[in-house]
Amino acid sequence: MLRLINGPQTVGNGRVFWICFFGVLAAALAYPMFADSYDVGNFAYFLIWVFMALGLCLMWGYCGMLSFGQTFFFGIAGYSYGVLAINFGGGGMTVLALVLAIGLAALSAVVLGYFMIWGRVGGVFFGIVTLSATLVLAFFLGQTAGPEWRIGDARLNGFNGMKGMDPLNVPWFEGETIYFEGSSLYYLAIALILVVYLALRMLLNSRFGNVIVAIREDPQRAELLGYDVRKYQLITFVIGSALAGLSGVLYTSWGQFITPSSVGLPAAAMPIVWVAFSGRGDITATLVGSFLILVTFQAITVHSQQAALVLMGGMLLATVMIAPQGFVIGVARLIGRLFARRGAGGA
Amino acid sequence: MTELLKTQGLSKTFGGLAAVSGVDLSVDEGEIHCLIGPNGAGKSTLFKLIMGTYPPSGGSITFRGIDVTEERPYQRVKKGLSIKMQTPSIFKELPVRQNIHIALQHHVSKQDLSREEDRLLAMLELSAEATKAAGVLSHGQQQWLEIGMALALKPALLLMDEPTAGMSPEETFRTGELILKLNEGGTTILVVEHDMTFVRQIAQRVTVLHFGKVFARGSIAEILADPRVAEIYLGKTHEH
Amino acid sequence: MLYQFADVFAFLILSAAGLAIVFGMMGVINMAHGEFIMCGAYVTVGLVHGGLPLPLAQLCGTLAAGFIGVLVEVAIVRKFYKRPLDSLLATWGLSLVVTQGMLILVGSSVAGIGTPPGSFMVGEYTFSVYRLVLFAGSLAALALIYVVFMRTRFGVHARATMQNAQMAQALGVRVGRVYALSFGLGAALAGFCGALYAPTMTLIPTMGATFVVESFVTVVVGGSNVLLGTAPAGVLLAAVRTALNAWAGQIIGQIGMLIAVIIIIRVLPEGISGFLTRRQR
Repeated sequence: MLRLINGPQTVGNGRVFWICFFGVLAAALAYPMFADSYDVGNFAYFLIWVFMALGLCLMWGYCGMLSFGQTFFFGIAGYSYGVLAINFGGGGMTVLALVLAIGLAALSAVVLGYFMIWGRVGGVFFGIVTLSATLVLAFFLGQTAGPEWRIGDARLNGFNGMKGMDPLNVPWFEGETIYFEGSSLYYLAIALILVVYLALRMLLNSRFGNVIVAIREDPQRAELLGYDVRKYQLITFVIGSALAGLSGVLYTSWGQFITPSSVGLPAAAMPIVWVAFSGRGDITATLVGSFLILVTFQAITVHSQQAALVLMGGMLLATVMIAPQGFVIGVARLIGRLFARRGAGGA
Repeated sequence: MTELLKTQGLSKTFGGLAAVSGVDLSVDEGEIHCLIGPNGAGKSTLFKLIMGTYPPSGGSITFRGIDVTEERPYQRVKKGLSIKMQTPSIFKELPVRQNIHIALQHHVSKQDLSREEDRLLAMLELSAEATKAAGVLSHGQQQWLEIGMALALKPALLLMDEPTAGMSPEETFRTGELILKLNEGGTTILVVEHDMTFVRQIAQRVTVLHFGKVFARGSIAEILADPRVAEIYLGKTHEH
Repeated sequence: MLYQFADVFAFLILSAAGLAIVFGMMGVINMAHGEFIMCGAYVTVGLVHGGLPLPLAQLCGTLAAGFIGVLVEVAIVRKFYKRPLDSLLATWGLSLVVTQGMLILVGSSVAGIGTPPGSFMVGEYTFSVYRLVLFAGSLAALALIYVVFMRTRFGVHARATMQNAQMAQALGVRVGRVYALSFGLGAALAGFCGALYAPTMTLIPTMGATFVVESFVTVVVGGSNVLLGTAPAGVLLAAVRTALNAWAGQIIGQIGMLIAVIIIIRVLPEGISGFLTRRQR
């Protein structure tokens, strides 16, 4: 099964690629020893969003389903974590809250996905329905300001957002607790990304992955080869949306708050910009590209949020007009060709 | 002779147009059956009804003794139906080998997969093109690739909608040979065709459609001798 | 309540008309639609501050938006016909660049202009005359679209191009020009919307966003035919929105409308016009 880490659906299967991969991983693991804790916490913040991008890449790049709902599931999981963590009283129960919150996001994905996929809502309309659902959630959460809007002890708090939940923590030996903040959150994020990335590679190169790619190319032909296209689409949608939920929980835990602005526009558009720019056709490109965009975005936002958004818009426009398969993929292929010419057993 | 596929009173109406009306078709196991008729006779529509791509407006379809009228296409495929469509319906952006792989992957064990792919590619004379994107193949090669994919499912009944459309006479002949060979191996084949030379090369029994209804049926000899059949083709080219 | 219905209807039709033409004609989803609305509004306000009377300023706003629309079509949109997903992304990018760029250049708010005074009473309710003007404007827009597409030569060319661009081109229609003018018309209608609403709103560069979501859903529910689709969609959605507003308040009204959209897309995947044209057959 580990063989599946390399395969037709992922760019980067050769020795050079994996050497670079482990190099980057080693550097990432060593990073907290050199950098100050603010930077480490910041890096962890970037990593949190990557899951949402990977999920969208899976759904859109590999299965052809453009979902505007990533922030919808982000919000559901984030708010659920908050509600559960507050009501369970924090402590080690936060892990349970994490699991249940993601489970809730996945469950909503099953419901929404079933509604759309079995209803033959596809193509652009898939995006529109998911966008509508996302906006409905954002509007709804925005008007929950009154004290009557509460689940158990947790107040939803309208535009100000929900606050005060415990960050993720795990009781450790000898009465100690590990709180996942700063460096520990950083390492947790790295570990999770590693697991998710490798698992996605295996999934995409497996028979399942072959089928969803076929569905993307020609759904009718895929069905005529004996595949129940709807089931594959639903499963892909649920996995992709659950990953957005994971981002949501980690975000809520990181900042100990969550607001409706994480759900509505323009937040809902962001994952699409990241994935489109990076290259939705490849999971590694999305991983690298999204991270780079997040870093760049923050660097510019510090000076001017408007300028950062102008850049985002410009990048999106440039991508679609010049390099529709994504800039990062374009660069990766260029590098690959350079290596192949040198005969170094290409990537 | 056991009856593999049977349609009874099968109909399909689009708005005001009856594309297929009350068609009773019967295909026996092990035969090569040709479906002919002038353009617009409803042949492709009939195929789509059999595969489940369109739901019928009336009538029923029985396959291997089971009523499949309500079933979705993938369920019929799982029961042993397979189709090669009129316009090459392959995964153009994916490599040729991967096209075959996707068709084969659930029908062959993991160890045999690679060997089966090689065998099919050799049979389709596409071994040299295995790593190329399917879209760069010539039209005839794309047709063959799709035939290969349809075959990979090891179907009991293979439907072929104008398999020689756009092919040179030489490719057409080779396709005929391929079909005959498949039939010797036990596959029942139902073919829609215009090219009468080709039909003569392969057909055992023939059903003629005209304006969505069954016009005539019988052995190839009977149909060729029937003057009414020649008449409905009159004024239209039937030799390509 | 009829008044409120007319108000919501006007809003939906005025904001959706331009988008519907572009989508129906070229299969392009113009996410920068809101920015053409903004353009119309800003030009109008700028000219009024400069001394022009309101109606004239509004006309200029409309024309300015239309002109810019033609430029955008030639430079960008041309590449994305029949590629709705790519056009969505490209125009979204453009929208971000324009709104944020405007924020940088012009700042977040500009002195607005007041709603023209004038009200009338029916029973015990006071209504603003200007809002009736808006309603009249939406009807005028629909009438204009009808006349242009059904009664002019341009309209015939445009409809031919919509059906089958290659055939139309083979018959001598200057397809490129038809596209540019149609997009310009769509942009002008958006500018018209902005110009009309300018006296009623605060002017901020992101004001397009207020219109975009709803115009978008109106177009989608309507399907690709402007007259057969957008208009009935406007009626339907305005009715839903008004009813819900009256019953449960603004937010529920908005949410309810979006939910109605989700259900309608599920039930009528080609929109209302798709449904109606199928029935005809």
